[in-house]
Order: sequence, then C-alpha cells, then structure tokens
Amino acid sequence: MSTNLSNIIAKVLSGEQDVRNKNVHNREFPFDRDQEAQVTRREFCNFLGLTSTAFLLGTVGFAAKSAYNAKNVRNFTPLKLDGAMKLERNSALNFRYPTVTDPALLIRANDGQYYAYDQKCTHLLCPVYYEKKTERIECPCHEAGFEAKTGNVIYGPPQRPLNRIVLEERSGEVWAIGVVTGGKEDDRS
Amino acid sequence: MTEANYEYRSRRGKTAIWQAKLMLLIMLNLAQLWILSATIEAVLGEEYKQLYPLVIASLVCWLISLTNVFYWKSATK
Repeated sequence: MSTNLSNIIAKVLSGEQDVRNKNVHNREFPFDRDQEAQVTRREFCNFLGLTSTAFLLGTVGFAAKSAYNAKNVRNFTPLKLDGAMKLERNSALNFRYPTVTDPALLIRANDGQYYAYDQKCTHLLCPVYYEKKTERIECPCHEAGFEAKTGNVIYGPPQRPLNRIVLEERSGEVWAIGVVTGGKEDDRS
Repeated sequence: MTEANYEYRSRRGKTAIWQAKLMLLIMLNLAQLWILSATIEAVLGEEYKQLYPLVIASLVCWLISLTNVFYWKSATK
C-alpha cells in the first residue's frame, strides 16, 4: 500500500520529466525550465560588456547633442514685463520667458532691485516660488532653497543655481533680454 | 604533482581569474555609470569643456572592458 502511494507521489512529482522523456523534441533539446534562468559567468561577462557599450553610447550621445545645441546660438527677443514697476518690495511676479511655455519668476527685493529666474528647479524641474518670510526662492518638492539675489543653492538636492533671466531698465520699464544658464557669468555686462 | 592535483589547482586558478574579470568589469561599469551621470550634469549646466574628458574616460573604460571580455584568457587549458 505504502509502496503504491510512494510510486504515485514520485510519478506526480516527476511529471515534467516523464513528458520530456516521451517527447522527441525534449530529448533533442534537453534544457530544463529552471536551468534557463541560470546565467553562466561567461554570459554575465558578455552582459557587462554590452552594458559598458550602452554607457559609452549614452555618454557620447549626450555630449554630441550638447555640442550640436551649442552651435545653435539662441536669440532672445526682449520682453517688457508688465506690472513690474508696480510690484511691491519683497514680492514676486510670474511671467513667461523666453517663450510662452517657459515659466519665470520676477522678484523685487527689499532694496528695490529686480531679479528674475527660470521657475524650474535645477533638481527635477519642479516650479519654485518666492518665500517672503525667508526672502529665498524655495522648491516645495524636495525642500530646496536658493538665494533670491544670486540664484545660488543654499540647501537641498539641486547641484546648480537657477537659470537667471537678464533684466534691463528701459525708460522706466523692466525688460527681460536674455537667459544665462545657472552659475555662468553674464557676458552682456 | 599528480594529474588530479594539477587539474584541481588549474580549475581553482581559472575560477579566480573569472572572478577577477567579473570584479573588474563591474568596477568599470560603475565608473562608466558615474561618468554618464557627470556628463548629463555637465550638459544640463552647459559646461561644455568638461565633456571631452568625460567622453575620453568612458571610451577608455569601454576599451578595457572590451579587451577584458574578448582577449583576457586564463593561461591554463
């Protein structure tokens, strides 16, 4: 009785092997399903070689795209910032520059000077805002802070300052005339 | 040294070489990953002068990986 039971259990457990033995294609292609998931050292080495190639292509691709973009000098159309002169001290105004899809932030500091920045955080492009209490530009996503007068990072994960929008006063009005990438000097001045 | 002892030592030697190859490849991959992230950071910051050394460094890592995969074989058969 117990022998029969043992045979039945063994037969059930070895069902896959029985099927393999009966099928011709399984005898000719004797690979188990479990073994397919195993990777040999040589295969893993080859995979790492491919990964290395992918990293190289990525690096070259980014560098090439950057070089291509650098050749195309951007021309910025001056934009008059309506309402800038009426802006109270220690407050901010939203506008769009250089295109209508680029949100920007105009700040009038306590000393009456104007500062403008791209509103996208240099960490993960979250919209930043001007905090009156601390007189800083802050990013709510990952709690980053930037200096209102320079755009430099004070704390938080961003590594680069905010992109600065170059301002100019023309006959009592404030105009945006260009964008300087974060951390770079303005070559117009 | 007996034949069996020689084979045993040879097998262990091959294993050590494979492990060393793997470790070196992993380290090179990590270095390249770091270089790629530095490249992206340089592109976003428009720091174009940093791009050439980064690309050259990645190329050197890739060449070492390539020679590692295709040409570095164990001396024993």
